[in-house]
Amino acid sequence: MASEIWTEKYRPLKFSDIVGQDDIVKKVKSLTDSINIPHLLFAGPPGTGKSTIALIVVHELFGPNWKDNYLELNASDERGINIVREKVKDFARTKSLGNVPFKIIFLDEADALTPEAQQALRRTMENYSSTCRFIMSCNYSSKIIDPIQSRCATFRFKLLDKDGIEKVMRRIGDGEGLTIDDDAVELLYEGSEGDCRRIINLLQSTAHISPTINKDIVSTIISHAKPKDIRIVLDYALSGDFQKSREKLLDVMLKEGISGQDVVKAIQKEIWNLHVEPELKVRLTEKTGETEFRIVEGSDPFIQLQSLLAGFVLAGMGK
Amino acid sequence: MAQTSWTEKHRPKKWEEVKGQGEPILKINSFIRGFQRKGRGKKAILLHGGPGVGKTTLAHVAANETGSEIFELNASDLRNKNKLNSILKPAIEQMSLTKQQKIILVDEVDGISVVDRGGLPELMRLIQGSAYPVIVTANDIWDKKFSDLRKKSEIVALKDVDHRVIKEILIDILRREGKFLEGESLAKISMNAKGDVRAAINDLQIVVGLGGLDVSMDKRNKDIDIFSVMQTILQGKPDNSLLALFDSVDKPIDEILLWLEENIPVEYRGEELLKAYNALSKVDIFRRRIYSKQYWRFLAYENAFLSYGVSASKNPEGVKSGFKSYKRPTRILKIWMNNQKIAHRKSIAQKYSKYVHVGGKRALMEYPTIRTFLMNPGIWKELKLTEDEIEYIRKDVVVVV
Repeated sequence: MASEIWTEKYRPLKFSDIVGQDDIVKKVKSLTDSINIPHLLFAGPPGTGKSTIALIVVHELFGPNWKDNYLELNASDERGINIVREKVKDFARTKSLGNVPFKIIFLDEADALTPEAQQALRRTMENYSSTCRFIMSCNYSSKIIDPIQSRCATFRFKLLDKDGIEKVMRRIGDGEGLTIDDDAVELLYEGSEGDCRRIINLLQSTAHISPTINKDIVSTIISHAKPKDIRIVLDYALSGDFQKSREKLLDVMLKEGISGQDVVKAIQKEIWNLHVEPELKVRLTEKTGETEFRIVEGSDPFIQLQSLLAGFVLAGMGK
Repeated sequence: MAQTSWTEKHRPKKWEEVKGQGEPILKINSFIRGFQRKGRGKKAILLHGGPGVGKTTLAHVAANETGSEIFELNASDLRNKNKLNSILKPAIEQMSLTKQQKIILVDEVDGISVVDRGGLPELMRLIQGSAYPVIVTANDIWDKKFSDLRKKSEIVALKDVDHRVIKEILIDILRREGKFLEGESLAKISMNAKGDVRAAINDLQIVVGLGGLDVSMDKRNKDIDIFSVMQTILQGKPDNSLLALFDSVDKPIDEILLWLEENIPVEYRGEELLKAYNALSKVDIFRRRIYSKQYWRFLAYENAFLSYGVSASKNPEGVKSGFKSYKRPTRILKIWMNNQKIAHRKSIAQKYSKYVHVGGKRALMEYPTIRTFLMNPGIWKELKLTEDEIEYIRKDVVVVV
């Protein structure tokens, strides 16, 4: 039975179905065909096909037995490395079924593990290397410790370009009998930011309202996902009311469940629409960039965002 | 119970009785011997350190060991120019009648305030002309009003006394008093004293006097409440003492951060605001580095930015004052209330995440994008959603036309 969730329904099942990442597909396919795959490290932004390719590798290797030979763990969910280790151990203890002499462990979002946890994981990888192969995914390979990187073949995934995103849209449009206006396509592509999961989710949301997708429906859905309230936050700050501004910001973040990084992205785009001197726009952009950097480096995005709002307050005073 | 104070009764008379200050003793000794032999070099030695570490005691022992008479001037004496001239001047210039050696002790010099007009420059002048070695003691010598004194004196830092050493001292006193106290109580008193021997001995005397029953003495370093911490940082001049401020607060540093985050805008405006939140931003980054690298040395920077950094963000001329009502941090509460509100959203995202091969956090972030199409009974069945969760989706979906 096909899933009603389109990201699953249209998840490619064969290497040939994958859109984009041509080079990676070619290499991983030939490794899989030779049944001699090393540990793999997939690095790249969300929605670029890391999990999909891992799943295809597993399907190709094990066929119908895949579920017995495959363990999927998400490092950002599994609390503590100990749980990961226990699960890995339990799983790796038994031999693989079928012709392939190893099982596959897919460790998603491996960069969520602390360096210490990664060190421990490295041991586990070594101890079970005869019975298990690891496929790890991460957003930034720089957050994976060198000893693990050196044990893996690394593949860098890129965001889908416009052609790729359009191809995905057309495929789903055909499958679901949708008509998508040209300017709606354009808007959807912008909203997707090259993230394949996101484009499919946006498409399903818009299609839920109407199978004939036009610009208006898309912008309604996108503005729901990306609240215009950010502008209100900035306006409060520019008028000098810091407290109101941050109150509104927290409100938006909590209610909409948007992350600090998404907020900072929205702010960066909104700056160009503000009525301030050109020179200030440049300075605010610089401050915004610094804030995004610090959000990645820090632990509490809201602290960093308040520092940014204080910058907007000052800009509102013409400084 | 003995009537005399044990701190006086058992004050050391000889170098060998002084515990825990080995290095300062060597320095004082060589200063005095050098002075008496050559009469050249620096005229004063400046002993600084926290209360009860032995500054005054060392001066007295030094006098005793060198057979000198001691001339003492302390905080209770007025220190204006005239008074100094009438009291200190004769002592410092006259040779002792018995030709005995003399040591001049100026105790607690940081007690000299702005009120003591001309006191400090006059003191400096007298020291320069002194025929005898001068010992000056102070808690904190880093105020800039002491810069001249620092330049013209040999500086000796006395460290807080280790609690194990304090325990030894206490045991020694008990032996001499013929009293007994169990080890656990002794350890507790020693720890509570935070390096202050005088405080420890006072506590010991009280506890023994009470029959050793109750040793739950309050911590000497009285906890400062969070409101005065806010006031100290946000209103006061930046001062080195801020660096130790959080030691006396009964709140973890993460919570203090939230308090400051909440209350900075109560006092700061414009540029001050930006600088202060920039300091908090640095705090947050160091905090992350501590956790991810487990490198706890970074705590020093976290602490410095949070106290001094935020304090120094205010306009130098605009020191604040007046009563402000500082607010309890509200952010955590708001997050908590929101979590209650979106508990169902979380559980739905959890089920969804397992189904579509993404992490739970990612799924929660995706929620605003997917909520429209979640209004689909087929998906409810697929994700095995509960009645409550379905109810949540029904209410949550914004109806768009």
